Amino acid sequence: MTCDVLVIGAGAAGMAAALSALEAGAGTVFLIDRDTRLGGVLPQCLHSGFGEVIFRQELTGAQYAARWAARVEAAPICLRLDTTVLAVSPERRALLSGPAGVEEVSFRALVLAAGCREVPIGALALPGTRPAGVFTAGQAQRMVNLEGLTLGRDAVILGSGDVGLVMARQLTLAGCQVSAVVEQRERCGGLPRNYRRSIVECGIPLLTRTTVSRVHGAGRVRGVTLRQLDTGEERFQPCDTLITALGMVPERELLRPLGNPLPSWVFLCGNCHHIHRTVDTVSLQGAQAGREAAALALESGAAG
Amino acid sequence: MSSEERFDAVVLGGGLLGCFAARHLTSYKLRCALVEAREDVCTGISRGNSAIVYTGCDNKSGTLKARLCVQANRTFEALCAQLGVPFVRRGSLLVSYGPRGDQVVRRKYRQGRDNGVENLEILTGAQAEAMEPGLAPGISCALLAPGTGVTDPWALCFAACENAQANGCRVWRNAPVTALAREGANWIVTAGPHTLRAGAVLNCCGLNAHRVQELCTSPAVRVIPDRADYLVLDQPAGPFVRHVIFQEPEQKGKGLTLVPTTDGKLLLGPSEQPGGEASDRAVTAQGLDFLRSRAARVVPGLDLSQVIRAFGAVRPNPFHVRREGEGWVPEERGIHSFAIEHPHPGLWSLIGIKTPGLTCADALGAMLAGEAAAYLGKDAPNPEFDPCRTPPPRPRDLDLPARRALVQANPAYGRVVCRCEDVTEGEILEAIRRGAVTLDGVKRRVGTGLGRCQGSWCADRVLELLSRELGLSPWEVTQDGPGSPLLGGERRDL
Ligand SMILES: Cc1cc2nc3c(=O)[nH]c(=O)nc-3n(C[C@H](O)[C@H](O)[C@H](O)COP(=O)(O)OP(=O)(O)OC[C@H]3O[C@@H](n4cnc5c(N)ncnc54)[C@H](O)[C@@H]3O)c2cc1C
Ligand SMILES: Cc1cc2nc3c(=O)[nH]c(=O)nc-3n(C[C@H](O)[C@H](O)[C@H](O)COP(=O)(O)OP(=O)(O)OC[C@H]3O[C@@H](n4cnc5c(N)ncnc54)[C@H](O)[C@@H]3O)c2cc1C
Repeated sequence: MTCDVLVIGAGAAGMAAALSALEAGAGTVFLIDRDTRLGGVLPQCLHSGFGEVIFRQELTGAQYAARWAARVEAAPICLRLDTTVLAVSPERRALLSGPAGVEEVSFRALVLAAGCREVPIGALALPGTRPAGVFTAGQAQRMVNLEGLTLGRDAVILGSGDVGLVMARQLTLAGCQVSAVVEQRERCGGLPRNYRRSIVECGIPLLTRTTVSRVHGAGRVRGVTLRQLDTGEERFQPCDTLITALGMVPERELLRPLGNPLPSWVFLCGNCHHIHRTVDTVSLQGAQAGREAAALALESGAAG
Repeated sequence: MSSEERFDAVVLGGGLLGCFAARHLTSYKLRCALVEAREDVCTGISRGNSAIVYTGCDNKSGTLKARLCVQANRTFEALCAQLGVPFVRRGSLLVSYGPRGDQVVRRKYRQGRDNGVENLEILTGAQAEAMEPGLAPGISCALLAPGTGVTDPWALCFAACENAQANGCRVWRNAPVTALAREGANWIVTAGPHTLRAGAVLNCCGLNAHRVQELCTSPAVRVIPDRADYLVLDQPAGPFVRHVIFQEPEQKGKGLTLVPTTDGKLLLGPSEQPGGEASDRAVTAQGLDFLRSRAARVVPGLDLSQVIRAFGAVRPNPFHVRREGEGWVPEERGIHSFAIEHPHPGLWSLIGIKTPGLTCADALGAMLAGEAAAYLGKDAPNPEFDPCRTPPPRPRDLDLPARRALVQANPAYGRVVCRCEDVTEGEILEAIRRGAVTLDGVKRRVGTGLGRCQGSWCADRVLELLSRELGLSPWEVTQDGPGSPLLGGERRDL
């Protein structure tokens, strides 16, 4: 199999990239995602606040994704869902795996729109146990919003970035008691509107200059030790769930075999380029990457 | 109450030692069984260790430990080939930074040579630094042991258990031994709902072995555990050292060990802290401080931001003890070999088998099974015994045509579920078929959740598969056995 532009990841960035690569004249465009649906993290975002720039409307993440997905589905894009890109080689070949089979695809240009992953609690290497009941915020959001699961009765949220705040509100609305959002910095890390909706409207205490210094519980989380960073004071906070929102890391492991600097045929966009706060800039950057990838593919096609 | 079942030999405990003892029992014409207290095998000491296959330099000459270790190390490739378990002979460097360490290097060299360890070599500091440029400069000398290997202890334990089962051993989980009594020439074992009658009993209950023996007679050796903490670094840090590194500190106390694992990660540890209950695997702040400060000195260039997990383990230190009031007081004299008690005909207890118990598990199992078979007067080999176990398919290890064929035959091997370690749905389903009932049981069998995202992507997918395959509600699925439900709160109908 061969194509002009191969796009890895069909979130906001990848969908925009595939569409604009096509518009810019690329002949065949492959759009690959390991998930069974389009949209990346968007479908699990049931709160509104997406698309203010592009659609001049406050949509939910799921609605925002649906608008783009409709365009992708109508376009002559070779869409492969439920398919993971396992590896990319310097010879411009990608190895794809899904229930439908394992195949190699050659391409002229590559758009990496693989998003990001969340920093897990393991990275903090805290003293204490490793009980069940610890989730990252994005994972918690997916489990609650898409899979209909419940996580626990009382939660502590570590990290006051947007994802942490959004989950604080959602868990509260779902009947889970959120006893604190804990933040090591002086102030809230998230956008003002998320601060308002989560901390103020839901009445959840935001503990700044505070961190979780230990996790307790043999089988399931029983509580955490909260440490005030300035005074060093510690106290036990009971909870059966700990949600971590410790930040995100661009997912670029696929690029490892390609060396540094990256070959000119690789284009990064969306959260795997840098962590974006709003989806509009993700889509715009995706579109830009798609156009550039198409141009390079056409150029190298003419040359080759 | 279930009726009593008769066996020739019964193994108590499904750790490395119990599983290998069971494997070797099946190499004789014996009816045998293994009972494990927990919901799965490999949940005790065997789940948390350094994964090193030692050469035998560290063990006192003339002891059973030294003899078995040297012998086991030589044949470890063959064992892993039979069982389909990863093994890499990385070699090890014991590095010294001063006169005290130099003495240890020389002593271990002589001891190793006396024990029959081959190809040992004392290197100059410069030679060692050239071999391992990541180590802090100033090495005064080093002991190179090319035979040191690294394996996957979980895979080894499951493989031994599966092999024993395939050769006819009955395995019961959720079967804690609560009574052990002699009746004529037989032992009556009460294990969960089961009552077993057997001529020979091999007690391999790890941290609990002395208590199990106490059900019929008082042991002379007891386990007094201490704790060990580890840090795990992600793959980019894996090649930071090529050998297993043992740092010999100048001051008293423990040095740092670095292990490049079979899956390309780097293991730092273990630390050594006193105390701890057998069941308590909490990581200690002191242990972490120790590891970080040692790492800063021994491998100053190592990027500790690659840490993806810390875990705690429990060391089963065996001691001769005497009773004082309510408690037990350890005697001064140390135990240099494996403590195997044989208090009554037909009963063997392995009490406090610590390092190199992983290395020697197969050899110890063979020895015990041989003794038991001889005692039973049934030591004719089982002509049907097959020492080989077919490992589950691992698509990531296959070449393209083989991987393609596998997915064609079973599409579930095409769907990647754990994105950090490239584990497929097919592997998870196979792990469940082979006995995994918890999230950690799947993790130990196939590696889901071991990578840089620590399961934040795949845990709910594994949960879904466990619940579907085992016919459980998602709220009944646990991370690591009873008391560790993954989900909480109000159940819903899905
Ligand atoms: C909880 C949360 C709340 C947010 N709230 C807001 C908000 O209110 N307003 C707003 O504007 N923005 C918000 N954002 C930000 C914005 O939605 C995201 O930054 C944006 O959707 C990211 O898009 P992306 O395409 O870069 O990444 P993703 O959406 O993560 O897409 C990456 C895709 O790549 C796929 N992929 C990765 N690797 C592979 C591979 N090897 N093979 C195949 N497929 C692969 C993944 O499956 C995924 O579908 C929020 C984000 C989160 C997480
Ligand atoms: C920190 C550490 C690092 C180590 N590193 C190495 C190394 O690098 N190389 C090496 O060779 N060795 C190493 N070892 C040693 C090795 O891990 C052990 O010797 C080995 O795992 C012991 O296995 P076991 O079967 O005796 O115990 P376990 O694995 O604990 O098995 C005992 C089993 O018995 C079960 N049980 C308990 N009570 C009952 C009951 N009443 N009824 C039924 N079942 C019961 C338990 O649930 C458990 O499954 C290390 C050990 C430690 C602690």
